[in-house]
Amino acid sequence: MRTAKNGLRHLVATFVVALPTSVVAAEVRIIANPSIKADAVSSSELKAIFLQEHNSLRDGAHVEPVLERKGPTHEAFLKEYLRQSDDSLQDYYRSLVFTGKAAMPKILASDEEVVAYVAKTRGAIGYVGANASVDGVKVLEVSFGEVSSRKLLNRIEPSYPDLLKIKRIGGTVRLKVTVAANGNVEDTLLLGGNPILGDAAIAAVKHWTYSPSRSRTITEVSLSFDPNR
Amino acid sequence: MGRQKLLLLFVGLCLGHSSLYAQDFTLLHRKFQVHGFASQGFIHTDNNNWLTLNTSHTGSGQFTDFGANISVQVTHKLRIGGQIYDRNLGQLGRWHPSLDWAYADYRFQPWFGVRGGKVKTPLGLYNDTQDLDFLHPFVLLPQSVYPTDLRESTIAHTGGDLYGTIRLRNSLGSLSYVAYAGQRQDSHDGGYPYLLKGVQIFFSSYGGLQYGGDLRWTTPLPGLIIGGSRLNESISGKGTAFLPGTTVITPYEEHSIADWANQFYGRYSFRRLQLDAEWRRYWRDQRIAGGFFEVQNDVRGAYLAGSYRVKKWFQLGSYYSRYSINLPVFTVPGLPYHSGDKSHIYDRVVAARFDLNSYTNFKIEGHFMDGFGLPAQYPAGFYELVNEKGFQPKTNALVLKTGFNF
Repeated sequence: MRTAKNGLRHLVATFVVALPTSVVAAEVRIIANPSIKADAVSSSELKAIFLQEHNSLRDGAHVEPVLERKGPTHEAFLKEYLRQSDDSLQDYYRSLVFTGKAAMPKILASDEEVVAYVAKTRGAIGYVGANASVDGVKVLEVSFGEVSSRKLLNRIEPSYPDLLKIKRIGGTVRLKVTVAANGNVEDTLLLGGNPILGDAAIAAVKHWTYSPSRSRTITEVSLSFDPNR
Repeated sequence: MGRQKLLLLFVGLCLGHSSLYAQDFTLLHRKFQVHGFASQGFIHTDNNNWLTLNTSHTGSGQFTDFGANISVQVTHKLRIGGQIYDRNLGQLGRWHPSLDWAYADYRFQPWFGVRGGKVKTPLGLYNDTQDLDFLHPFVLLPQSVYPTDLRESTIAHTGGDLYGTIRLRNSLGSLSYVAYAGQRQDSHDGGYPYLLKGVQIFFSSYGGLQYGGDLRWTTPLPGLIIGGSRLNESISGKGTAFLPGTTVITPYEEHSIADWANQFYGRYSFRRLQLDAEWRRYWRDQRIAGGFFEVQNDVRGAYLAGSYRVKKWFQLGSYYSRYSINLPVFTVPGLPYHSGDKSHIYDRVVAARFDLNSYTNFKIEGHFMDGFGLPAQYPAGFYELVNEKGFQPKTNALVLKTGFNF
């Protein structure tokens, strides 16, 4: 049975290798200036920040959105978090600028420029491709629920499956994580990403511990696998 | 000559737009931004002259506007900025620049902020962006709800706003609110003063208190926004008038008894498709001619609009706009009411927009209008002063416009 499961994994891995590279390249990571204390933001918070409805996180820390001008990372971010086209987003920003309600956010040309700007700008928050170097910035987890108030007390990093690392297959996986009131991870569900990386992520996340809460909460966690690291 | 130079400058700016990216600079350790826009239009109609232009012969290009703004983030929570705006639309605007908005904005929390100064008034989906045609697929927004000849009546107030966005629990979306109060002050170059010039009434001042609010719900269904706005006002106009048939000049005054507008709206965006629907009712009850007459206007407008971006550089759009005006009362107070005047404008529009690049666009649209409102009573695009031979029941219009922004 175990042999059959491993064989299936190899089959899936081989299939993933055959996928166009843009599929993997389209994954994004949310990065922030190290001055930001939070380790995670909710997807709704992230959307509000990039739509300039919020200029601070829940803990009161000031944030400033930074965008990429175009490209697969930008398109993936728009689709995943803002759910609108680049044209409509640019029109939205112009409507704010020309009615005085907000400034045009910083828009940069590449992952490297975004990382460099976020690293040196207090409160900056941006996004880069899954394979971008993130030296000097911190990577934020994105939760898709009302959970960022629960602190992650114990985090186990997932082990990178050897086969995928050899074949230099990376990407981001998204998990739906149910956390019990006592802080233990009760359940996990793979929402997106490479299924083998997903299994590795689930194996690690099951051992995570959150701060206690009055009731069970559900969050979404994104984990990135970078074969270059 | 001056106009030709301006047109040449405009063409030059359009062609040389690449040097006109938004200007960011740092001064006193603060980041400043400068943005601007300009556009040039042309209107030709087959019958009635429209929007105070002489459109019905060879057409008219007296359809120009531009604006520029500067803003600075003073602290994380405090922003200040201002914008000038100038337009020439036939007999309206007449190249007299105005302060479009200028205010300080302090955002305490995402759910609560204050603005003070001259602030754009929220009324429906597009009141505050009605001059910014580069944001819209159409040259002219539906005139039943956003009459460009009456823009000054709703565009901004000098006063203060309370605003914020509240995230709703249980993934129910968010609620954005604005509550405002301030003074409206019209120039002498708007549609209503122009209408009254036709009956020899000349305002020296026109304006008054405006207050109201806007509440919009960004629903859990991605792309769907619905909301409502309310505006109340108490308006006074002062000036002079020639007594009918004489050269005798007498003081003239009018003021509001009741004056309000309700507007409800919805917008749905799905991928390249956008659908808009709005309904506005404007009720105006005025004592005019120093209180000698009472006049009521019941103006109702509604439209349904759709647009589809076929390519990144090409967008198609259409809308159907219905305007109606009733004049339930026009009387000397104390005498039996005279009522019953009513009329309409139904406008079917098809439009195409070409985005030459991110900063420059060109638009072409056709209007097929039935009716012309009550031109002797209240402005709705058609004026007796530029239609001295009377009105034809139908008007078709070709509208072209190009513009850029940075």
